[in-house]
Amino acid sequence: MSKPFTQNKLDRCISCGYCLPACPTYKLTGNEESSPRGRITLMRAVQDGKLPLVDLVPESNFCLGCRACEPVCPAGVEYGVLLEEMRVATWTGKNRPLIVRGLFIAVGTKFMVRLLGLFSPLAKNRKSGSEVHLALGCFERALFPSVSKAVAAIEPNCSISAEQGCCGALHAHNGELEKGKAMAVALGESMPGTILSTAGGCAAHLSSVLGRERVKEFSEWWAAKQVALNPIMKSGKPVRIGFQDSCHLRNGMGVFKEPRAILASLGEYVEVPDASGCCGAAGTYALLQKKNSRKVISQKVRDIAELKLDYLASVNPGCTRQLKTELRRAGVKTKVIHLAELIALSQK
Amino acid sequence: MPAANSAALLEQLTALLGSEVVRADATALEAYSRDATPLFHGLPEVIVSPRNTQEVAKVVKFAADTKTPIIARGAGSNLCGATVPLAGGIVLSMANMKKIIEISKSEALAVVQPGVTNIELDEAAAKDGLRFIPDPGSRNVSTIGGNVATSAGGLRGLKYGTTKNYVLGLEVVLGTGEILRTGGRLVKDVAGYDVTRLLVGSEGTLGVFTEITVALAPRPKTSKYGVAYFDDLAAAASAVDQIILSGIMPATLEFLDNTCIVAVEEFAKLGLDTKAGALLLFGDDGDEASVIPTVERMSEIAKAASGCRGVTLAADVAAAEQLLYARRCSLPALARLGSLSILEDIAVPRPKMAEVVKRIEEIGQRFNLRIGTFGHAGDGNLHPTIVLDKDNVEEVKKSELALREIFNLAIEFGGTITGEHGVGSAKLPFLEGLIGPGNMELQRSIKKVFDPRGILNPGRLGS
Repeated sequence: MSKPFTQNKLDRCISCGYCLPACPTYKLTGNEESSPRGRITLMRAVQDGKLPLVDLVPESNFCLGCRACEPVCPAGVEYGVLLEEMRVATWTGKNRPLIVRGLFIAVGTKFMVRLLGLFSPLAKNRKSGSEVHLALGCFERALFPSVSKAVAAIEPNCSISAEQGCCGALHAHNGELEKGKAMAVALGESMPGTILSTAGGCAAHLSSVLGRERVKEFSEWWAAKQVALNPIMKSGKPVRIGFQDSCHLRNGMGVFKEPRAILASLGEYVEVPDASGCCGAAGTYALLQKKNSRKVISQKVRDIAELKLDYLASVNPGCTRQLKTELRRAGVKTKVIHLAELIALSQK
Repeated sequence: MPAANSAALLEQLTALLGSEVVRADATALEAYSRDATPLFHGLPEVIVSPRNTQEVAKVVKFAADTKTPIIARGAGSNLCGATVPLAGGIVLSMANMKKIIEISKSEALAVVQPGVTNIELDEAAAKDGLRFIPDPGSRNVSTIGGNVATSAGGLRGLKYGTTKNYVLGLEVVLGTGEILRTGGRLVKDVAGYDVTRLLVGSEGTLGVFTEITVALAPRPKTSKYGVAYFDDLAAAASAVDQIILSGIMPATLEFLDNTCIVAVEEFAKLGLDTKAGALLLFGDDGDEASVIPTVERMSEIAKAASGCRGVTLAADVAAAEQLLYARRCSLPALARLGSLSILEDIAVPRPKMAEVVKRIEEIGQRFNLRIGTFGHAGDGNLHPTIVLDKDNVEEVKKSELALREIFNLAIEFGGTITGEHGVGSAKLPFLEGLIGPGNMELQRSIKKVFDPRGILNPGRLGS
């Protein structure tokens, strides 16, 4: 059997433990095996035949995949890549969670992706002649179609095609790495030029496959344009806005200053405590690991409630859904909204 | 057999403490089979994560009764193999005892549980205008328990001392399971042998800390840092001598050799002069009226020193923090250069530093090994780091010989084999050579008094 992990990526880890305090699951448990360093120790044991592959399953499931361990790792360990390899190794055949199988079918073909958006009015097909293409995001188009509509309104010079397929991030993070990469390549071919994405998770996956220069996440794109914005007012005062980072946008693409700068011009910006920490959505995690996902977000919900924000901006549909659900459950009035929608709102 | 013993231990300890704090699944055991020290691995048989002193006492008593090895562990970030369970047994993870019990502003002290991290304590102290002085490179992750167990040092040793200068009192569980309190909250207290200081740096061999009282210091109003570049380390070292001789005792005097500069720059991208043979990071903290002239004076001395290529002062606090962070990341940054990096920790009298550094370079050339050296120029604590290919048996063997020479070098110059990392398993073979058979025998006798059954971290220090 071929080895599940790329050896030189495992070798990078020097077990210094600098990642421990950054890891949400280590914070929850205090257990070494539920930390990035511990998981790499387990991967090594499997790689060397000291542990059977099946022993990796619990930690493969428990890890959020937020990659908060990467920016704090001075040795440059590409944990995200190792996690993808771990998911490939552990979530195959019978071990693949049923929900993931269902989701793969839902986004597996262009037809199905189109179907996802059928029930919600979407931004219309538009050829602008511009080399900037808006990626619609499979789940965003189904759950939050207002996001692409907002982008269409404030960014008239981008092309939009309802024919596009899925970027493959879902596959890559859930045990179908090669297929996930192939889907990104196919999407890249169908959208020559710059791909603009409103979903941090999709943007990070696309840029890892197609190259950083071809992919722009919406907030970095907008920030670079340096358009002056008017603050959104409520009873004569600028609204209070908080922000939740998208893990892969921040930890994978290094984008976190840009959305904050935009929001600071849209109202009174308030930094949410641990805004860079995962909200527990983590792609399919909120569906597969409901209990743990709620544990991860619980402190955040309390912090947000205390801040009495008008808006909490998000740059990824998974986070939006998770935050909306949990804030509603806790009776917090703050409205969760995509950053692009807030810009559109300010221009009304 | 370990597997059978593991199951038995799991059953007995679960009966004693409940299933929430005891586990022995294969993955957990594997995860605790190493710390941050390369080449040392050993599987424990069971993991216990106690929540309070009583639970610690129960486990230690159990270990004593059954003669089971027990190893207390904080974050497992030590670099001397002090927490690798080479003899199997129980790993006692202190990760769940992480309460800051009290910060007294008027007494300038803190009472904490051992699992609190160094930075958590410092951040909490900051709210009262105080700080925790010891700042090991691993401060973001390492725990106070671990800091005390190894008497961790850091970047402020010259001016402020290290962990041993800041521990006021301890609650400790001895090898018998007995709970003992030593010291207290006082700066002055000479009643009885100084058991507190004996426990500091005891690497888990004399007792398990369950509560730690440490002295805090006022947070300085300002700090200022600068960087000087030199043709080689010897030139930097002699500039350091001149600084000290001029009557300045600054908070920070750190150096990196060229190998380290290049590695750190690659990671941190601060625009360091990667052509320089050595970098000296200097700085001081305190009141503005004293810090600014002190740092400017240091800058002038460095500029005038022979072999100096240039000096720049950090523009603001953020820039200074970046420099300090970069210095703390020397080891992991070096580790990017090879699949195995072995970090050493000798200390020598400061006036001998230039010569020792030169000799280390010679050793590297003679064995044809890549050795990057960084460290604390102010207190003579050097961290020569060998970067190599872990699968190259020949190179690994050569590195062992080179390290032995480096230890002997330190001893020859009146230095020590470990300045701040600890002896652990990695350096125990060299301890007697340094301290002599008489002292070694005394260490063994002390160990027996605290831990008559020999269960606490066996194979370390006086075991």
